[in-house]
Amino acid sequence: MSAFWRLSRIKTFLLVSVLLLAGSPGAVLSAEVDHLQSIRNSGVLRWGADAEGGAPYVFPDPQKPEHLIGFECELADAIAAKLGVKAQMVQNQWDQLIPALERGNFDVILNGLEITPDNQQHITMSLPYFVYAQQIVTRQTTRGITSLEDFKGKRVGVLSSSVAQRLVQKMGGTDLRIYPGNVESFRDLKAERIDAVLLDLPIAIFYAKPDPALKLSGDSFAAGYYGIGLRKEDARLTAAVNQAITELAANGTMERIYRKYEVWDARQEHLKDYHAEPVTQKKAISTLREWPKYLPLLLRGAVVTVWISVLAMILAVVAGLIIVLARLYGVTPLRWAARAYVEVMRGTPLLIQLFLIYYGLPQIGIRLNAALAAILGLGLNYAASEAENYRAGIQAVPVGQMEASYALGMSRWQCLRHVVLPQALRMVIPPVTNDFIAMFKDSSIVSVITMVELTKVYGMLAMSTYDYIGLGLMTAGIYFALSYPASIFAHYLERKLHYDRR
Amino acid sequence: MIVVEKLVKSFNATRVLQGVDHEQKRGEAVVLIGPSGCGKSTFLRCLNQLETADSGRITIGGVTIEGGHAPCNGQEREQQRQLRLQAGMVFQSFNLFPHLTVLENIARPPVVVKGTVREDAEAEARLLLAKVGLENKAGAHPTQLSGGQQQRVAIARALAMKPQVMLFDEPTSALDPELRDEVLRVMRQLVEEGMTMIVVTHEMQFARDMADFVLFFDGGRVAESGPPDQIFSEPKNERTREFLRRTATR
Repeated sequence: MSAFWRLSRIKTFLLVSVLLLAGSPGAVLSAEVDHLQSIRNSGVLRWGADAEGGAPYVFPDPQKPEHLIGFECELADAIAAKLGVKAQMVQNQWDQLIPALERGNFDVILNGLEITPDNQQHITMSLPYFVYAQQIVTRQTTRGITSLEDFKGKRVGVLSSSVAQRLVQKMGGTDLRIYPGNVESFRDLKAERIDAVLLDLPIAIFYAKPDPALKLSGDSFAAGYYGIGLRKEDARLTAAVNQAITELAANGTMERIYRKYEVWDARQEHLKDYHAEPVTQKKAISTLREWPKYLPLLLRGAVVTVWISVLAMILAVVAGLIIVLARLYGVTPLRWAARAYVEVMRGTPLLIQLFLIYYGLPQIGIRLNAALAAILGLGLNYAASEAENYRAGIQAVPVGQMEASYALGMSRWQCLRHVVLPQALRMVIPPVTNDFIAMFKDSSIVSVITMVELTKVYGMLAMSTYDYIGLGLMTAGIYFALSYPASIFAHYLERKLHYDRR
Repeated sequence: MIVVEKLVKSFNATRVLQGVDHEQKRGEAVVLIGPSGCGKSTFLRCLNQLETADSGRITIGGVTIEGGHAPCNGQEREQQRQLRLQAGMVFQSFNLFPHLTVLENIARPPVVVKGTVREDAEAEARLLLAKVGLENKAGAHPTQLSGGQQQRVAIARALAMKPQVMLFDEPTSALDPELRDEVLRVMRQLVEEGMTMIVVTHEMQFARDMADFVLFFDGGRVAESGPPDQIFSEPKNERTREFLRRTATR
């Protein structure tokens, strides 16, 4: 069946090529245009990779940061040269490379993508170009974590949707922390937030080996192959890439590149022993049909989302009040500080603030766990918005209210406490409720500091099932089911308070 | 009871009060009249420190404040508060607290400011409500009352602080004519009870009937003062005559 399928594909391609050569305009409209031809036409092979924390695969040259280097960078150039075109890197978050390839953002994936049955469900993998293995990295002082079994009960960091994640997840019994990039996990390892990191050997060699605080612990294991990822319909491109890989391996180009980046080892000799195993096409998973299996997992993520949002909002509401009081009624330096706080918090991205709190503060000796950092980051960011809400509310209280209070002999604080704030707080309940709904959705950003909340659970499940639509609908449904009541409550308050003030 | 010496107040470049002197005995009712912008409201607002005078001296009920600068330390703030406690203020726009009931509007300030026991403050508030004829509105919110009713609550609220002096800043100007009388009636009653009062108003009949003295303000100073008979019947000042002629034809 599969062979027949492939055959018919090739026939179609041949047909299309013939039609193209004949210059028929109808053929251009066909969906079966082989990308190899369009790549040759454009003269550019676009390869998807993630250069963020991507050393030694592909990363910005420390001497010339606008310039990318790395062994995959040079390999891409060599393969493109074999195809007679130039290579052009397209930046894409690593754990989203496969969906991005399917969307057509680039022609191939060349970024440490493992040849696994999972990855082969949706895309074709080329012949291997590198043999990798898993390596445990710990702090220099750590003893007794040298194999996968030693992870039991330990806090272990892995790269999102990597082989390491699958290995540790499958074994179970560990406190697994999933990172969007490689650098962050080492930072947390040094900050003693986690006990070990499991990752591909080249990364360990590049980042951990030169670091005196870290060590490669135990022998590397679970060897596997990196291959180039291609769309299933690009059979001719696949063939061309495979031929390029074979030639580059045979003429020593690969060994030269790998030695340059110190990732050559004896295992690479096994590249030529590779035998493609037949991929059994798994039945497509419909998570919607199997919702009793997936919904509870998503709901568990939603619980994290809810308590992080609620605690962060409480912090924002309280801190915002302190800030606005300092800004409006404090002594001059306090006013300036409060104003600067609001402007800086509103003028910088929440993502940067989270990174600074979670990864930056440990450098000055303040180590917060991920949950606390998430609540602080969200809360302190929203505190600025709440302060502005309060300010609008306070300034909307007529000046006559204050004059009447003062004339009755109230002090400024008594006037605030008994007259201004009760009126202002009523006015700001609707905007604050709206902010809460916004924060509820914004909270998905805390997944970048290893919090596994609703959106992260969605991402992880979607990664393994490839059912972005079904899971997406369920996830969106949960967000909606949780935020809609808050929205109704806001409307209700708005109406009720409006009536009172009539 | 009230002594004001050489009170000067400017807003930016405009001198609104140009050295006002004023003396008033306990139990006297004084009415300030004059064209708008003449400084009579500013004078009143200086008296209870809603405005800080540039210079001059204010004494009410034995508490003295010098003009010149806003209070900047605890002692000066306390002095200012003491002065304010001597004087109750009624505003043109009522300024009742919309989030509190009528009863709370009257009973809350003594509890907050003077530490009065709440039950006592509320009992007193009910007496004052009865006095202004609104005993059945204790549980209402200000927004549910007419302007005249709101102003009567405002008067009760000021009285609840037991001030030595009552200051009225155009108390009926924001009211429809048919609502003015209920407020003026309460004010007449206060005069008859011997309350020391300063009233800024355009109600000439009230001034004629109730004032012990009428002060005609013009250009930031007292242009003419005297008993109402004298001011209204034979004003000496040309500006007073002109003002009274205009208000009479209005």
